[in-house]
Amino acid sequence: MEKDDTIVKNLLFGLIFAFIAAGAVIDGPITAFTEFAKLQIVPARLINDFVQIGGIGAALINAALVGLIGLILILINKVKISGPTFAAVLTLMGFGLFGKTVLNILPIIAGIYLAARYVDKEFKQYIIIALFGTALGPVVSFAAVEFGLSGVTGTIAGMALGVLTGFILPALAVSMLHLHQGFNLYNMGLTCGFFGLFTSAFVLATGHKYDKVLNWYDGGSSFLIWLVPVMSLIFIIIGFVFDKKNAFKAFKNIQKIPGRLPSDFMVMESMEGALINSGLIGLFGSLYVFAVGADFNGPVIGGLLTIMGFAAFGTNLRNSWPVVLGVALSALLFKFDLASPGPILAAIFVTTLGPLAGEFGWKTGVIAGFIHMVMVSQTGGWHGGMNLYNNGFAGGLTAALIVAIIQWYKANKPLDASEF
Amino acid sequence: MRRRKDIILHLLSEIASYILEGDPQRMVVSLHQEESGLHLCVIDSNQHSDEEIAKMEKMLNSQKRPELAGYYGAMTGQDLLGGSRLDLLGWQIKHADVTRVDCGIQIDLWMGGDEFQSHKFTIPTKE
Repeated sequence: MEKDDTIVKNLLFGLIFAFIAAGAVIDGPITAFTEFAKLQIVPARLINDFVQIGGIGAALINAALVGLIGLILILINKVKISGPTFAAVLTLMGFGLFGKTVLNILPIIAGIYLAARYVDKEFKQYIIIALFGTALGPVVSFAAVEFGLSGVTGTIAGMALGVLTGFILPALAVSMLHLHQGFNLYNMGLTCGFFGLFTSAFVLATGHKYDKVLNWYDGGSSFLIWLVPVMSLIFIIIGFVFDKKNAFKAFKNIQKIPGRLPSDFMVMESMEGALINSGLIGLFGSLYVFAVGADFNGPVIGGLLTIMGFAAFGTNLRNSWPVVLGVALSALLFKFDLASPGPILAAIFVTTLGPLAGEFGWKTGVIAGFIHMVMVSQTGGWHGGMNLYNNGFAGGLTAALIVAIIQWYKANKPLDASEF
Repeated sequence: MRRRKDIILHLLSEIASYILEGDPQRMVVSLHQEESGLHLCVIDSNQHSDEEIAKMEKMLNSQKRPELAGYYGAMTGQDLLGGSRLDLLGWQIKHADVTRVDCGIQIDLWMGGDEFQSHKFTIPTKE
C-alpha cells in the first residue's frame, strides 16, 4: 500500500513539473510567468478560459501551482494518497486552467482550517472539503477585482469573503450529502452552488449587475489536443508496468462498482487498475470531444483532467456512457450544438451522476443525463458563475430529484406476501 | 452527549441495515458504554459463509481514513437506497470482530477517542 502511495505521489509531482516545464517552453519562461502573475488578478467566474486570457504557458503554470498547493497540503497532513486525493489534485489542476488561481484558493482553504479548529477537529478531517471547496475561488476574485472596490480594499474584501466562505462550507457540505446520498460525485459542486445562490443574491441586492462572461479559446493548439491522450496513455502504461498480472482484472472489477460516494477504487481494487480506468476515461473523453468537433481549451481539458481524477473515485466506463448519452440526446432534442461550451462541458462533467447509472441501471442513467443537460443550462445564472463546479450543482439537484423519487417508490410500493 | 448519541444511532442504523438485508429471524443488539468509548455487539441469527465473514471483518477493520470519515462518514446510517456499506463504519471504529456463534454470527464493534481504555472493554489481543 505504501508503495502505491509513493507511485501516485511521484506521478502527480511528475505531472505538475511537466506542466510547468511545458508552460515555460511553449510561451518562453518570462512571458509565461509574467502572464501567470497577471492571471491572479483577473475575473475568475465561469467561463474564463485562462488559455484565452493569459496564453497556454501561463494557464499551465497556474494549473500546476494550484495542484501543487493541494498536493503539499495532502502530504503535510499525512493524508493517504489514493482515490479521493488523486481526484482532488487532478481537479485542482483542471480548474486551474479556468477559474482557480493560487491567490483565490488560499482564503477558502484558510476558512475551512479555521472551521476545523473551531469544532476541535484536525484539518485532515476536512481536507477533502478544503481541496474541492476551492470551487468558490471566483468569490474571492469577484470581490477583489469585479465589484468596484479599489486595490487594497478589494484585496482585503476578497480575502475576508473567502475566509468566511470557507468557514461555512463544512457545515453545508455534510448537509448536502444527505440530499443525494452519495449519488452525485461532485458533492462540493452542489454545496458551492447552494452557497453561491446566497452570495449572488447579496451581490444583486447591492445593485451590481453581472456581466455575462465567455472567454473561450478556439485556437486549435496541437499541444492542447494531444495533452490528455498522451497523459492517458502514460497512466495506462504505468498501470500495466507495476502490475502486469492483475491490473487488467482489477480494471474489469472496477467496472462492476456502482461508484457511489465514497468509492476509492485504488483501495477497493488496486492503484494499477484505477490508473488504467483513468487512462481509458481520458481517452474516451478526448475521443468524444474530437468526434463532436469541440475545442480543446482550458475548460474542456480541465473537465477531462477532472474525470480522469474521479476515475479513481467513482467514475468508470460502465457508469459513464448512459449519462453521457442522456446529455447528448437532450442536447439534440433541444437543438443545442454539441460542440458549444455548455453541452460539451455537460457531456464531460455529467459523469458526476455516474453512480445513478451504476446502481440503478443504464435507463436511469440516460434519464439523469437528459435532465442534467436541461438543468445545467440554467444553473450558471443562478449563482452568477461564482461556482466553478456548475455541473456538480446541476448534477446534485438532478440526483436529489431522482433519489427522492426512487426512495419514495421503494418505501411505498405495494407489499408482496413476504412483507407485512 | 448529543454527539455520542448521534454516533451510536448512526452505527446502529448502518450495522442493523446490513444485517436486516439478510432477513434474519432474530437480531440482538447490546451496547456497553464507558466514558472513553463504547462496545456494540450485534448477533445475527442467519448463517454466513466463511467468505462472507472474512469480507465483513475486512471491511470493518479497513484502514482508518480520517479524511473520509470526517466528511463522508456523515452518510453512515442514512442508507435508504443501495446496499449497506460496512467500510463507512470501518473508518470510524477502533476495532471489529466477526465470529461464528451457535445461532449465527456475532459482530463486535469498539469505538472511542484518544483516551480509549481498551482494558475496560474486551478487545481480544493478537497472539
